[in-house]
Amino acid sequence: MAISDPDSGADADAPAGDTDAPAVETDAPVDEADPIPPSTATGGLREYLRDHAVHAAVIVGFVLYPLAYEALLATPAAPFAEAFLPAITFMVVVLYMGLFAMSFDFISGYTGYLSFGHAAFYGTGAYFVVLAANGQIPGVPGGTPFMITLLLGAVVAGLLALVIGSVSFRLTGVYFAMITLGFAQVIYELIRSWGYVSTNPTEGATVSGDALAIGVPFVDALSLDVGRLTGESVENLLGLGIDLSTTVVSYYALGIVVVVCYFAMQRILHSPFGRVMIAIRENEERARAVGYPTYRFKLAAFAISGFFGAIAGGVFAAYSRSVAPDGTFYFLVTADALITTIIGGFGTLAGPVFGTLFTQGLEDVLSTESGGVATLLREGLPESVLQADLFGISLELFVNTAVDGRAPLYLGIIFVLFVLFVPNGILGTLRDRLGGTVGKRLPDHLRRYLR
Amino acid sequence: MSLAPLAGAAAQAAPLVDPGTLLSTGGAVDGLQTAARVLAEGIGKAAVYFTIAVGLTLVFGLMGVLNFAHGAVAMVGAYLGGLVLVLFVGANTGTLATILVFFVALALVFAVTTAAGSAMEVALIRPIYDRTPTYQILLTFGVSLIIEEVARIVLTLRGIQPNPQWQAPMGTAPDVLLGRTELLGVGVRRLYLFEVAIGALVAVAVWAFLTKTLYGLYIRAGSEDTEMVQALGIDVRQAFTVVFGVGTGLAAVGGVLLMWDPIWGPSVLLSIDVLLYAFVVVIIGGLGSFTGTLVAAGIVGIADSVTTWLFTTGIVTFPGLSEVTIFLLLVVMLIIRPQGLYGVEEVGGH
Repeated sequence: MAISDPDSGADADAPAGDTDAPAVETDAPVDEADPIPPSTATGGLREYLRDHAVHAAVIVGFVLYPLAYEALLATPAAPFAEAFLPAITFMVVVLYMGLFAMSFDFISGYTGYLSFGHAAFYGTGAYFVVLAANGQIPGVPGGTPFMITLLLGAVVAGLLALVIGSVSFRLTGVYFAMITLGFAQVIYELIRSWGYVSTNPTEGATVSGDALAIGVPFVDALSLDVGRLTGESVENLLGLGIDLSTTVVSYYALGIVVVVCYFAMQRILHSPFGRVMIAIRENEERARAVGYPTYRFKLAAFAISGFFGAIAGGVFAAYSRSVAPDGTFYFLVTADALITTIIGGFGTLAGPVFGTLFTQGLEDVLSTESGGVATLLREGLPESVLQADLFGISLELFVNTAVDGRAPLYLGIIFVLFVLFVPNGILGTLRDRLGGTVGKRLPDHLRRYLR
Repeated sequence: MSLAPLAGAAAQAAPLVDPGTLLSTGGAVDGLQTAARVLAEGIGKAAVYFTIAVGLTLVFGLMGVLNFAHGAVAMVGAYLGGLVLVLFVGANTGTLATILVFFVALALVFAVTTAAGSAMEVALIRPIYDRTPTYQILLTFGVSLIIEEVARIVLTLRGIQPNPQWQAPMGTAPDVLLGRTELLGVGVRRLYLFEVAIGALVAVAVWAFLTKTLYGLYIRAGSEDTEMVQALGIDVRQAFTVVFGVGTGLAAVGGVLLMWDPIWGPSVLLSIDVLLYAFVVVIIGGLGSFTGTLVAAGIVGIADSVTTWLFTTGIVTFPGLSEVTIFLLLVVMLIIRPQGLYGVEEVGGH
């Protein structure tokens, strides 16, 4: 069974590699005899846009979503939109958890080394940002712009990854997973009891100062304050009569960071360096035999992964303005990334974002924070039905306990089903179907249907 | 370090603190006596660590499956055992009767979870043996998520708070176990003695299972060379089912043992705690090694009691010392000897 094969991740990618060849061929006639492919700026840009049509479509979708959601809430379909579409607060989680899951996939999905202690990097980024904002990091003055502390925190996490990786990459398989988990737990326990962080380190720390801004440092016009309470809101955007709440502004600001990070990681994975990472996953001994110093490649990949994991933690901290050990350094944070990565597609980079979208969507549908099925049922069903007896328990009680806030249960079931029947995840399976990455194959498929 | 967090942490650590330890160091320091007490408590903790870890190592030894649902099953065991005790132990049940009920609970829970574990192996794990071990980790992890959430739903429906410890079964512990016994001039908590007794019982039972039964023979042979065992005409698949069942049952037995222990106690959070500590013990001892698990449990137990003693006497003021030390043991062991104390190098390497 090809699908259940552990190497199937490679199947998803191998055609992607193959399709590089035809893409290059189509380049040639367009660019005449010029040996340098982007002969003119517009030609190169058009080429670039065509290659990234699906990327652009996804980004446009994410950009338009809040506006569409707000618009729907003004229509009669509002109760259903509230119940079944993720609210913007959940979409913000999709962004930072999606980025974290991507960084997890970067190392785990592409080199095959399961980083079970990945929360350590997320936590490092988050704590660094909060402590820096409070002026508690030596050498970093209190008013340092968030973008700088974000990068510094990410560099620290990258260095931490080098330290952890330097001993961990001597191991493989289960042992690698366990040693990274061990490191993360040690750091978790240390942070939990470290009085320097705050007066109550088990509860974590809070940003006491001003809102943190994403954008160009020191240029107020080009930066956006983030946070549900402290963020900026925009009224009457560009005179279009559109108001953006603080949450929506934060969503866009975080979105910019996530898009930049995604393209950076994607660039690395499509470079020769990324091909070596895949070679390590497929057959490390052979990669070494061919002459690649695999240990150094793994270390570098781990550092990059830790860097982006910390960026995710940093923007999370900027948005939520408080960090707690259980929400950052704990094993279950890694587990969240693992679940979304498997659902989205292991070794697909973009897949984890869709996996996070899926899990957060489910969470939103099953919670009452913004509509949700439970609210819909409670308000929509007549009282007699709600009080109906089911094995000694009223339907209302059943809804309250088995539907309301029970996303982890259904997520667990869906996760097990994915592991059993869809091991390549959403995006991995889609790529198998299309015979290549969606960006490269989808236009052809669409053309075939539209002809 | 400010005082406030320390006070808070000390209050949290209160159940861990042995009042006797504090008293003894306060007076004339009888070094030998203190050492004996710390050692005795370490052995008590070791018995707990062994019981929660042995099932994990058994399953890994034969099948190479790292069962991430181990902790969740232990949590279920703690609740099911607690349920039996709450149902059958009243205010005027005698000590002997209570202990008898405890053993009945132990046997019942073991039987139920063994059957459930076998069923899980057949239905869920068997279809994915041909995949990389990653997928078995993922699958069992998913199962643990489901178990935890079902537990939360059931508990909430019955009006029990899932996160704090369920006090009702903890209250059924007979008064005899709450006191202390003079042993070699040291007052040792009887609960620890009881835990050591159960731990020893489990150890003997598992040892007998491994050395005296046919399946034990399969496990020992299978952990050396599964293909050879198959070549000899043994139905390894059936052995897998039995062993996974027994491993699951042992996890639940560990849970029942934790039910009376104030450090652990029945709570849904037990799931992840048991899992992480069982990992530490199993990795230090060497994945798949029974002797290794026994020795590693001893090391972790004594490290735990020594660090707890260091903190409670104020020699070290860092509240997370015990946990940090235990996970550092894991990391250090993996650096200097990845296969663990008694592990075979090939097991679990890929």
